[in-house]
Amino acid sequence: MWLESPAAAAAPGRSTAVLDQRNMQFAPRVLAVRVGTTVRMPNSDRLFHNVFSFRDGKVFDLGLYPVGTSKTVTFDRPGVSRIFCNIHPAMAAYVVSVDSPLFAVTDGQGRFEMPGVPPGAHAYHVWRAGAPQASGTLTLAADPIEIDLP
Amino acid sequence: MRRLIAPAVVAACLAPAGALAQSAAVEIVQSVGASTESVTSAAVQVRGLVDAGRGLRGVVEGSWADRSRDVGDVFGTAYPYGGKADVIEAYAEWGRTGNGLRAVRGGRYRTPFGLASASDHAYIGFLRAPLIRYANYWALSSGYLEHGVDVLAGVSRVSIELSASKPADVGAAIRRDGSPTLTGRAEVVAGPAVVGVSRIDTTPYAPARFASGRSRFTGIDVRVMTGGVQVRGEWLEGQPFAGRTTTGGYLDLIVHTRRMDRVTALGRVEKLDYPAPSSFALFTKRAIAAVRVRTWQGAAVSLGVSHQAGQQTQRRRTAIDVGMTWVLRQDRSRSTR
Repeated sequence: MWLESPAAAAAPGRSTAVLDQRNMQFAPRVLAVRVGTTVRMPNSDRLFHNVFSFRDGKVFDLGLYPVGTSKTVTFDRPGVSRIFCNIHPAMAAYVVSVDSPLFAVTDGQGRFEMPGVPPGAHAYHVWRAGAPQASGTLTLAADPIEIDLP
Repeated sequence: MRRLIAPAVVAACLAPAGALAQSAAVEIVQSVGASTESVTSAAVQVRGLVDAGRGLRGVVEGSWADRSRDVGDVFGTAYPYGGKADVIEAYAEWGRTGNGLRAVRGGRYRTPFGLASASDHAYIGFLRAPLIRYANYWALSSGYLEHGVDVLAGVSRVSIELSASKPADVGAAIRRDGSPTLTGRAEVVAGPAVVGVSRIDTTPYAPARFASGRSRFTGIDVRVMTGGVQVRGEWLEGQPFAGRTTTGGYLDLIVHTRRMDRVTALGRVEKLDYPAPSSFALFTKRAIAAVRVRTWQGAAVSLGVSHQAGQQTQRRRTAIDVGMTWVLRQDRSRSTR
């Protein structure tokens, strides 16, 4: 989930994040980053992986790399990149690149915390795997907010 | 309807620095296949993966697979087709990959010679194991397993792996008990190329009255990948037992470019020479063209056409194999202080 932040969009964003390959799976399964973030993708397994993204978002193929090595990808445009391993078909992850410093990934119960949000009205966007993107406006006050999605 | 809940009050990050990550996963790999060699197959592998944090992990893998006819080597990728359940791997491992690469593995694991991982043989889309990895062809069976200790050391681009063990094989080739098996492997990563050299000294799998002495092999393996094109191969030579030699290898071409998206094209040429008197000798060559299509998440369909020259290990010179594999996986993770 992310909030529109026109004032902050031009400011430099977070520079690095990690999408690990561990136990034949990506961790985390959903990684949200700000546009311009370089994501490090280490191989923490003792077998080879071949990470690639050929569809939407960032297009890349990192080739083979063994345990203990790492490669990086810079997500320089907003969008959703679907990440796979061409050796292990069960490995899949999403990198959601947003043009805002105000974003978060929910937990299994749909909860999240988003530090640094000023009070007031904000336009929000929610991305979920396999569902249409949802958008709307929320108003922050002192209490937690709830957003119901169809 | 999904509900998102967010405190409006700015809060610190939930994950504390230094948290001990713990995760576990169960993966079930199911596959079915059919071949023009009048063979159908079904297989299930169940894999448990535990990451206890601080570099400590555990792996348990069991396998059941069966074929309608026990002929040829179709579908014999990395698991035995004996119609019974086997424990394939069960080991604990500690490792770290920071400044230097160090790992110690103890338990039951695949023989670390060459491209030995099940990933290399069972996932990429080939439905037949390389000739040098098939159980009955006097080289190194993909059913070779070890009970022992395996140590990996090095830096990220140069590593050495040593294993001391007792054979604990599954499938048709079961090595005899005897002196410990010693396996060593060195691997160098240079740009897009990964080159490994392996050596094994173990006991033969045939009865002592027929196969005396030790089984010793040296192998070289290469993987090069650039622009969505991977070339990989193995070559080995040595003695399956005293007085006999086996040489052979394979070369794979694996193509997966952006335009191909879900499709991976595969090609393999391979040979195996086992000069021996009488009907035991085996000189064979094989070429395979195959394609693997990722259908939906965790599922793939593979189609392969193999053509063989020289002595037959297939029932027919040309065979068509088709297989489908799908993976179910459940992950659990938590963080503790």
